[in-house]
Amino acid sequence: MVALWQLVVGTGNFGKALPSPAAVARQFWLMLFEPIGRTSLYGHIWASLVRVLSAFGVAIITGIPLGLLMGWNKKFEAIVRPIFEMFRPIPPIAWIPLAILWFGIDETPKIFICFIGAFVPVVMNAYTGVRFTDPMLLDAARMLGGNPRQLFLEVAVPSALPAIFAGLQNGLSLGWMCVLAAEMVGAQEGIGYLILLGMDMSNPAMIITGMLLIGAIGAAIAVLLRYAEKRICPWKREISM
Amino acid sequence: MTTQPQSSPVSGAGENSPGEQPQAKASAGGAGQGKRAMAGRPQASGSLWWLSLLSVTGFLVFWYAIVRFEIISQALLASPEQVLATFISKLTNRAPDGATLGANFRTSLKLCLTGYISAVCVGVPLGLVMGWFRKVDEIVKPLFEMIRPIPPIAWIPLAILWLGIGLPAKAFIIWLSAFVPSVINSYAGIKLTEPVLISVSRTFGATNWETFLKVGAPSALPMVFTGLRLSLSSAWMTLVAAELLAGSEGLGYMIQMGRTLARPDVIIVGMLTIGATGAAMGFVLEKFERRLTPWRRS
Repeated sequence: MVALWQLVVGTGNFGKALPSPAAVARQFWLMLFEPIGRTSLYGHIWASLVRVLSAFGVAIITGIPLGLLMGWNKKFEAIVRPIFEMFRPIPPIAWIPLAILWFGIDETPKIFICFIGAFVPVVMNAYTGVRFTDPMLLDAARMLGGNPRQLFLEVAVPSALPAIFAGLQNGLSLGWMCVLAAEMVGAQEGIGYLILLGMDMSNPAMIITGMLLIGAIGAAIAVLLRYAEKRICPWKREISM
Repeated sequence: MTTQPQSSPVSGAGENSPGEQPQAKASAGGAGQGKRAMAGRPQASGSLWWLSLLSVTGFLVFWYAIVRFEIISQALLASPEQVLATFISKLTNRAPDGATLGANFRTSLKLCLTGYISAVCVGVPLGLVMGWFRKVDEIVKPLFEMIRPIPPIAWIPLAILWLGIGLPAKAFIIWLSAFVPSVINSYAGIKLTEPVLISVSRTFGATNWETFLKVGAPSALPMVFTGLRLSLSSAWMTLVAAELLAGSEGLGYMIQMGRTLARPDVIIVGMLTIGATGAAMGFVLEKFERRLTPWRRS
C-alpha cells in the first residue's frame, strides 16, 4: 500500500497536491519538535483530547441515568422521550453555529458540540439496553422477592451494560469526529485546527500527518474503551455470541 | 418509533474489526422482545400519550417564556413563534443568505443523495465480495482498514486542497462518509451467513458464485440495510459539516450565515429543517427495507 502510494507520487504528475510517504514522514518528524501555531504538536493533541474527554464525561454522567430511567419508567419515558426525539435527528454538527452564537469561540462551544454528539448514542443505548432486558430474568427476580428497586439495580442495569458500552463506543467516536468539526470552524489550537492550517498553508503533508494522527488516536481510544469494557463486564462475550 | 439500538459494534465510525459478531442481529428480533420486556416492567401500563402531549406543550411554553421575558437575550435565542414566522418568510425570501429555504434544501438534498447513492453502489458490492471471496478480502482489507478510522470530516481540508470548494470536494467527502459504513455492514452481514445454508446449496450442486448470489447476498440483506441507514445519517451529517466549512449555498451554509449575522431564528429554522429531512429520509429507507425484506417482521 505504502509502496503503491510512493509509486503513484513518483510516476504521476500530481505536483504538490499529493506528497510522498517520505515527505509525510519528514513532516511528522519536523512537527514533533517545531511548534505549530501557538503550541507544539502535543499541545494540539492534548487540547483536542481534553475537549472530547470532558464532554464525554458529562455525557456519561447525564446520559446513562437518563437513558436508564427512560427505559425503566413509563411515565418518565412519556415525558422525556418526545422532547429527546425532537432533538435527536439534528446532527451535532448543525449545532455549531448556535453554540458559537451562545458561547463565543472559546472552549465551551466545542465541549458543548462534543457533548451533544456523545450524548445521543449514550442515551439511546442505555434506553434500549434496559428495554431489552430479558423479561424472564425480571420475572425470576420478582418471584424471588425482589422489590422494584432491586429489579432495576440488580437485573435491568447489569443486563443493559453491554448495550451501554456499545453506546459509549459510538458516543466517543462521534465525539471525536465532532471535535474536529468544531475546531475547524473556529479554534486556535487542537488537531482539527492543525489540518485546517495545513490547508491554508497548502501543505498536504501536514494535512495527511494530521489525518493519520486523528485516525490513530481514535483507534487507540476505542481499544482502551474495549479493554475497560472487558474488565467491567466480563460476561458480555457470552451474550454477544 | 425506532427501537433499533445503535449498539451494533459494526455501526458508524466504530473501531471494531468487522470480523466480530455484530450485535445488531439481536435487534432483528428485538421489536417483539421489547414489547414483552415492557410488559415486564413494574409500572402499570396504559395510554400515556397525554403525558407526552403535556411535556411537549410544556417545553414550547418554557421556550417561549425564556425568550419572551428575556431570561435569555433575543440576540441568542428566537422564540417559537419567531422561528415559525422566519420559516414561512424564508420559503419565499432570499435574505439573508441569498437563497430561499426551498432552494437551499434542494441543493443539500441533491448533494447528499448524489454522494450517498454512488457510495452505496460501490460500497455494498465491495463489502459483499470482500466478505465472500477470501482473496479480495486479503487485498482490499488492509487498505480499507487504514482509511476507516479517519473520520470523513478530517478529509475536508485535503478534499478542498485537491478539488477546490465546489461540488466535487463536497461530493467526495460525502461519498467517503457513506462508503465506510456500507462496506463494513455488508461485509459483516455476509460473513454471518448460516453455514448450514451454504452447505445445503453446495450439496445441491450450486457453484460458489451461485451460492454467493442466491444464499450469501440475500441473507446479508438485513445487515446491509443497517449499513444503509448508518451511511445515510453519516452522509447527512457530513454534508452539514462540508457546507459549514466550504459552501456558498445549502442548509449548512444557511445556518453558518445565520451565525455570522447573529440571526438565531435563521439558525433554528435551518437546524429544524436539517433534523426533519434527516428523519424523513430515515423513514423512507425503513419503509423501503420493510418492502425488500418482508421476512424480518416475523
